[in-house]
Amino acid sequence: MKNVSKSFIFILLVVFLCSTTIFGAPQKTTVSILAGISTTDDGIQDIITAAVAKKYPEISLQWEIHEWSDNFHPRMQQYIQTGLPDIIIGKAQDVATYGGQGLLAGLNGKSYLDNILDAAVPGVTIDGEIYGMVYNCLYQGVYYNRKMFTENGLEVPATHAELADVIRKLRAQGITPFATHMVDTWSIGNVVMQFAINDVFAQTPDWGDRFRAGKVSFATSPEYKKCYEYMKLLYDNTWTRETFSLPQIDCDTRMVLGQAAMKVSGSWSIQNFLTIDEDYDFGIFPFPNQSGDAKLIFEPNMTFMKSATTKNSAAVDKVFAVITGDKEAAVEFYNLSRTASMLKGVSPTFPNPSQKDIDKYAAEGKLIDANLGNNQLQWGGFQDENAKDIASWLQEMITLDEALKAADSRRANSKP
Amino acid sequence: MLRKKSINRFEKLQYFSLVLPGLILFTIGLIVPMLLSFGYSLTDWNGLAPTFSYIGLENYRRFFSDTFATQAWNFTIKFTIWNTIIQNILALLFAVVLNSAIKGEEIYRTILFVPCLFSAIIVGFVWLRMFSNVLPALNSLLGTDINFLLFGSAKTVLTGLLIANNWQWIGYWMLIYLAALQSIPNELYESAAIDGTTTLQKFRHITLPLLAPALTICIVGITTGSLKMYELLVTSTGGGPGRASTSIVYHIYNTAISGRQYGYGSAVTVLFVFILLLVALLQLSVLRKREVQL
Amino acid sequence: MSKIAMPEKKLLRFKNKGANKKKTLNKTKRGIIQILMTLVAVLFATPILTIINYSFKTTRELYLSSPLALPQSPNFANYISAFRKLDLHVTFTNTFFYTFVSVAVLALLCGAAAWAIARNKSKIFQGFYIYFLLGIFIPYQSLFLSIYIVGFKTGLVNTRMGLILMYIATGMSFGVFLMTSFMSTVPLELEEAAKIDGCSVYRTYFCIVLPLLKPAIATLTILQAFQIWNDYLMASLFISSQKLRTITLAMQLLFSHQASDYTTAMAAIIISVLPVTILFVSLQKYFVQGMTAGALKS
Repeated sequence: MKNVSKSFIFILLVVFLCSTTIFGAPQKTTVSILAGISTTDDGIQDIITAAVAKKYPEISLQWEIHEWSDNFHPRMQQYIQTGLPDIIIGKAQDVATYGGQGLLAGLNGKSYLDNILDAAVPGVTIDGEIYGMVYNCLYQGVYYNRKMFTENGLEVPATHAELADVIRKLRAQGITPFATHMVDTWSIGNVVMQFAINDVFAQTPDWGDRFRAGKVSFATSPEYKKCYEYMKLLYDNTWTRETFSLPQIDCDTRMVLGQAAMKVSGSWSIQNFLTIDEDYDFGIFPFPNQSGDAKLIFEPNMTFMKSATTKNSAAVDKVFAVITGDKEAAVEFYNLSRTASMLKGVSPTFPNPSQKDIDKYAAEGKLIDANLGNNQLQWGGFQDENAKDIASWLQEMITLDEALKAADSRRANSKP
Repeated sequence: MLRKKSINRFEKLQYFSLVLPGLILFTIGLIVPMLLSFGYSLTDWNGLAPTFSYIGLENYRRFFSDTFATQAWNFTIKFTIWNTIIQNILALLFAVVLNSAIKGEEIYRTILFVPCLFSAIIVGFVWLRMFSNVLPALNSLLGTDINFLLFGSAKTVLTGLLIANNWQWIGYWMLIYLAALQSIPNELYESAAIDGTTTLQKFRHITLPLLAPALTICIVGITTGSLKMYELLVTSTGGGPGRASTSIVYHIYNTAISGRQYGYGSAVTVLFVFILLLVALLQLSVLRKREVQL
Repeated sequence: MSKIAMPEKKLLRFKNKGANKKKTLNKTKRGIIQILMTLVAVLFATPILTIINYSFKTTRELYLSSPLALPQSPNFANYISAFRKLDLHVTFTNTFFYTFVSVAVLALLCGAAAWAIARNKSKIFQGFYIYFLLGIFIPYQSLFLSIYIVGFKTGLVNTRMGLILMYIATGMSFGVFLMTSFMSTVPLELEEAAKIDGCSVYRTYFCIVLPLLKPAIATLTILQAFQIWNDYLMASLFISSQKLRTITLAMQLLFSHQASDYTTAMAAIIISVLPVTILFVSLQKYFVQGMTAGALKS
């Protein structure tokens, strides 16, 4: 009995181990994709696979999907050692990080680039060569509860004096002015960068380069110090006890339920808002800056890149052509992720209460690209580490000066 | 005489061949990467670029002036010390209780053990929500105002993590103590009872010495596990608020990847392994002396 | 004949020793302890009950009602959605396969190494023991890039074989440690008898020693299986193809910081933890027996 069962297990092992060679035998052209996405983008793989299968059934897509902020970059690091996949899907800022190392293929001259809005091109161009194809974009700013504002006779603030007034009136009504979830360090980093875009980079677009050249620093820059202080303003006017313990969805729920009036965030929150209450009426405005001329921030988001060493270049081009050409698929994705389009002539059809605000700012030419900041100061290793220092400062573990000096100490890591 | 020696040699080779496969796998899978990391620790490689330069022991020097590494280290040590004390005492306590003739021992055993079957990532995820959603709801139910938001402040985040980690692992160590308790022969207790010793004395002079092997396993296990803590932080505090709950492995991982300083990260890893070894050796030499053979 | 009957007798003796319970508590003490223990059990069970509770709620119930409230009606949609998101027919088979094969081979190799070490008092073999034990102190998370490079150079990345070999490599340390402490339960007399009968070292191991290590193998199975089942890092390093994914890899997006679909996530947790729980419950008695019989006689 024992011998029989032993040999049975042995045979089973052999069979299983042999079957590893059978799997993975290529049948059609297989294009490998590494995707770093946000949770709100989940579903992109089904949409694109279906679109490609319709037009080019001989191309099969092999997906590997990771969360952009946690797992995408380690995977990139690994593949850089051993060979990148054919297509890489990341954020527009990844072009600056990886394009500069010769890892991405230039896309100049490809016909499918004509489908993309011109506004999307500068952020993914290095030395005149385009390295990425931007698919959608997010808007970032202060989301506010329109009904609450109207009921309390509040106007959208354009200066800090007006903002202080709004905060005062909300507090008088017992409403928490700002909804925050500072347990997510990335949220702190994102919010501070939003402030910096309108207070630092709008005036000095090459602030990052000057910083690295030693001409400016966080400790001596009154503008950046102001941005940090805005963070304190938020912290003092939110659920201070809970914010370092409150996951994003709980924060958004509280906001929809009327416990807070404003949230400094981006389009990724729309999906949550509308899932909790599809009739939630919200708007968006840019957080006021010192000069009272803050612009609404748009962030070119999901970006398709091609590996410089791909062996399936023609197939990748076909896939890119489908992605930019299939308008139905694009609309389906924009509706799913509640984001804005970067394709010419394509608009999402989901009801977006903040669309009228976006259109207003767009008509007035008051839009500004988030990558103005993100392409000057690296996110990973710099912005996110600074965010931790800000959190430490808000928790009164270090002083504001120490937090600013700590940012300066990371100068070497700030280059994207 | 000669024949015996050659047989012995042949036998020895056979024994050696039994060890060989495991040895090879272990070396290639763990030791070689460790040596590779040691090599990288002497460079300034950022993990991305195809080239890097040799910088000698510069990374190691940097570690001693790196305030963030020191902060992470302090936190890890605090966590380890508290954890070792609390987890051991509670696991032993529960084991002693379960070993006495109470009903439903198997149910208690299962309930206390099941938490360790969850991965640390899930444990962190669940406890963040326990502290921020579920437990505060008790306040409205009971009309109290206890602060359950332990992950929300740098002062209480250690307590929160201790609770989450102990919930996960107490059952595991308790089973080891339980088995150890059950292997102590009853005759020893009975003869002690005849001599008129109290429960406390019985515990000190019979139970504790015979528990020594289990104590060794548990103490060393809990200490090394606590020092290596990483996954629990990923889905709960993310090392925060700020850096208040960043463990040393979390710091290494962050520096090596997002910080794009794989060389420096490797150096910290090598130092960390040395310290782990030192700690374990110290503990083993102290604890092994107290073990008693049955 | 009698020599083969001996191990059974020895095990019987240990079995009886296992029934050591202090019967010296009086009723009130027992009552108090019973109540306290029940309280502890309830506290420990609360997070698990919360997970189960959440897994049956709809997302709106989750957002809008109290966390302590029970769902209005048991909602299995989350489990169906979790099945889909986890790609369960692929990932479950994969995870099961990796765990089963890894643990089986680990038991074989660790038993072999531990037995060879226990039967050889020479310095070389004791050196091997310490060498294996070093692995306990290596936090392989921080070595991830080096491990990946080694895996790539040996062509083992993105293969089932590669992942299994890595699990074995990282499990050797604890396995050898555990198995060595069980070696005292294998009576030397039996091995001597086998040697006199002319068995080679291999035959002695496979035919006599291995069967006697059953409680050891059960212990190793329980302690290692759930760690491999729940492993994320090694799987994420080695697996990129969808066909080879494990359950933990598929679960990743559900637990990101931006995750909003708790209910599916909770259902996914229950699904992924159920198999190992069943394994534990069924192997429980062997585990305690095994630990009692030998693990602690090191």
